[in-house]
Amino acid sequence: MSETLIKVKDLKKYYNRGAIKALDGISVDINCGDVMVVIGPSGSGKSTFLRSLNLLEEPTGGQIFFHGIDITKKKYKNAEGKPVKLNIDEHRQKMGMVFQHFNLFPHKTILENMTLAPIQVRHIPEAEAEEKAMKLLDRVGLADRADSYPIQLSGGQKQRIAIVRALMMEPEVMLFDEPTSALDPEMVGEVLEVMKELAHEGMTMVVVTHEMGFAREVGNRVLFMADGNLLEEGTPEELFGNPQHPRLQDFLSKVL
Amino acid sequence: MFTKIGFEKTWQYIDLFKQGLICTVSLSALTVFFGFFLALLLAVMRMSDINIYRLLPRETQWSLRLKGGVVYALSRFNPVSFIASVYVEVFRATPMLVQLFIIYYVVFAPVSLPTFKLFGFIRFERFLPGVVALAMNSGAYLCEIIRAGIQSIDGGQAEAARSLGMNPMQNMRFVILPQAIKNILPAIANEFVTIIKESSICYTIGVQEIMYAVASTKGAIYRIGEPLIIATCVYFCLTFPTSKIIAYFEKKMSVGDHRNSGDSTRTRKRKSGFAGQGAQSAPMYEEVTK
Repeated sequence: MSETLIKVKDLKKYYNRGAIKALDGISVDINCGDVMVVIGPSGSGKSTFLRSLNLLEEPTGGQIFFHGIDITKKKYKNAEGKPVKLNIDEHRQKMGMVFQHFNLFPHKTILENMTLAPIQVRHIPEAEAEEKAMKLLDRVGLADRADSYPIQLSGGQKQRIAIVRALMMEPEVMLFDEPTSALDPEMVGEVLEVMKELAHEGMTMVVVTHEMGFAREVGNRVLFMADGNLLEEGTPEELFGNPQHPRLQDFLSKVL
Repeated sequence: MFTKIGFEKTWQYIDLFKQGLICTVSLSALTVFFGFFLALLLAVMRMSDINIYRLLPRETQWSLRLKGGVVYALSRFNPVSFIASVYVEVFRATPMLVQLFIIYYVVFAPVSLPTFKLFGFIRFERFLPGVVALAMNSGAYLCEIIRAGIQSIDGGQAEAARSLGMNPMQNMRFVILPQAIKNILPAIANEFVTIIKESSICYTIGVQEIMYAVASTKGAIYRIGEPLIIATCVYFCLTFPTSKIIAYFEKKMSVGDHRNSGDSTRTRKRKSGFAGQGAQSAPMYEEVTK
């Protein structure tokens, strides 16, 4: 069994004083090297779950341990047992995130989009950051667009840039929030290709998606969520081949 | 109405208008300068997140949030933001003339300001209260412009910046502000032009700006039309270039807004061959890479 990277315990997110339960007690372990695919009908809390992992969404209950540190608390005890203030920015650096709507910085070129955080946050020399960015751009076949602005790119290109922008920070885990949902059908493939490659390299990934093909082919664990609850968990073979929960059977009959 | 003689007579007092021009320009420039910093301060205050809730441990926050009600609302009360909001609302809801009079006749009444003359003619003890009143007024308006500009930026931008590990300051400086400033430039230009025009109100407390020159000339030659025409021209010559200069910066900053901008206007120092022309001539949409 590989090491647990993120441990989620009884995670809750309530809106409107508990009237809406976006997450109603989710517990799951994410291990190093996992490609965990989260599926479920819309409004089931998949995105909220993913966004809670790096605290873009502040939960209203439960715990999230990243490398054994509870990041939902404001303080944690360091190795010597002293309470230290938790710096969420440090943890977010190790969690790359890719959004449905890309969220590239429109006022910066592709290269600047990629090098901004490494230069400002990790204090990597500009030349080194640019070299690294060019290598990554080359890998996704977009090296010739380094000096373009995001608006000049197609959706698929933007999302590939968003992925390598997150990779520039050398994250330990990548969170994908419906990365292909805003794309034209013919551009989905190019983005999934990059994600597949990333998975084969052993990157730990949590992917919220409606691409069942991707879930089956690349995922090693699949979570099925509905109404803020984790209803079923297992390997793709188990979930797609032999679904147990009636909600999952119903869901799969609609999407497959 | 207007006569040639009238203009000739007015021309004899053109030095008054020159002085008025210098006075209006320095009045406006100082107002813009101080008003902008005041506005920044006010905008930061209004968008601050200073409250008791923040200091509470997470568990207490969660339970408070679930309970809601008065206790929760009180814990989220932000006194700093409240003060800034009151300031902005009061200054936007009252006439400029009233504010000017209160500051000149009430606030500065007990203060004995030094009575030297700027540039040899501007009476400092009248000039300073004028600047203070104008700056306090435009600060309130500019604050709202800045706040609206910052809040107009899509939330996804901040999320992307934060998820890359940037702290709130870096997010503001590198991601939000550059985009916000571009969006609010037209409104800021409008406000600057307004300041130049509104500075004429300082004539009522005896600051020797352009309208003061009009009044003096009128008293000397017993004509009002011609001095007013001269004043109109001077004001126009001031405000028109101001808005044009800002329009220029606006255009310069709009890089990244249009599909065919960018590559050709940028000059990057890099050896690799793909920059510049090469990238420009590349097809807009490439086929999927294998």
